[in-house]
Amino acid sequence: MHLFRSGEHIQRWLAGREPGATIPVTTLSELAHAWWGDRLSPDWRPHTQDHNQAILNRLGLTGAFWRLSHDRGSLPPEYRG
Amino acid sequence: MNEDDLALRNLTYARFAQIGRAPTAAEIADASGRDQAEVAAGWERLHAEHALVLDPATGGIRMANPFSAVPTPFRVHAAGRWWYANCAWDAFGICAALHEDGQIQASCPDCAEPLRISVQDELPHDPSLRFHCLVPAARWWDDIVFT
Repeated sequence: MHLFRSGEHIQRWLAGREPGATIPVTTLSELAHAWWGDRLSPDWRPHTQDHNQAILNRLGLTGAFWRLSHDRGSLPPEYRG
Repeated sequence: MNEDDLALRNLTYARFAQIGRAPTAAEIADASGRDQAEVAAGWERLHAEHALVLDPATGGIRMANPFSAVPTPFRVHAAGRWWYANCAWDAFGICAALHEDGQIQASCPDCAEPLRISVQDELPHDPSLRFHCLVPAARWWDDIVFT
């Protein structure tokens, strides 16, 4: 999970490898604040998978790549590992 | 996660933020009234539940996400200290967890150009940068250090 100067730099770095997902750094910051903002709360409790999926969905991070499901049978073959 | 393990997790995170590094099992034992073996066993359960990540060689904390216990290429200055993050996402996560503005230092993996990002009011000052995630979400925990 890296930051790049631009999409062109990502393509060059991938060097023909299958790409993952690219998002603007502004979306990353929103994601990080929604995902990690409660980590030091004295009342912290684990996020459910549904909670985390809702964070991704709210930011438009949808589709098979962003699916947290542990039911890998439901994923495209390239994402099952 | 039972209430005892939840309390252990929250104490471990609080102490990490307080001292600016991963606490040892002995330090958490002293702070919690548990013995060291109980802390280590609790950390193992928290590791299994992805609530923190242990170093398999030492049993010590490797990650208390978004914080890294070991040096990484992602440094964050926030709340008057330097921190290490596990990845670019976690670098922003450190500002988020601390509820602080910050300065992130990383580099572009393609050209090695240093990247200096100011985070103010949850926003990066340079919106032109791009984040790339190579591993799909369903596989993030297959190898969290690689992810």
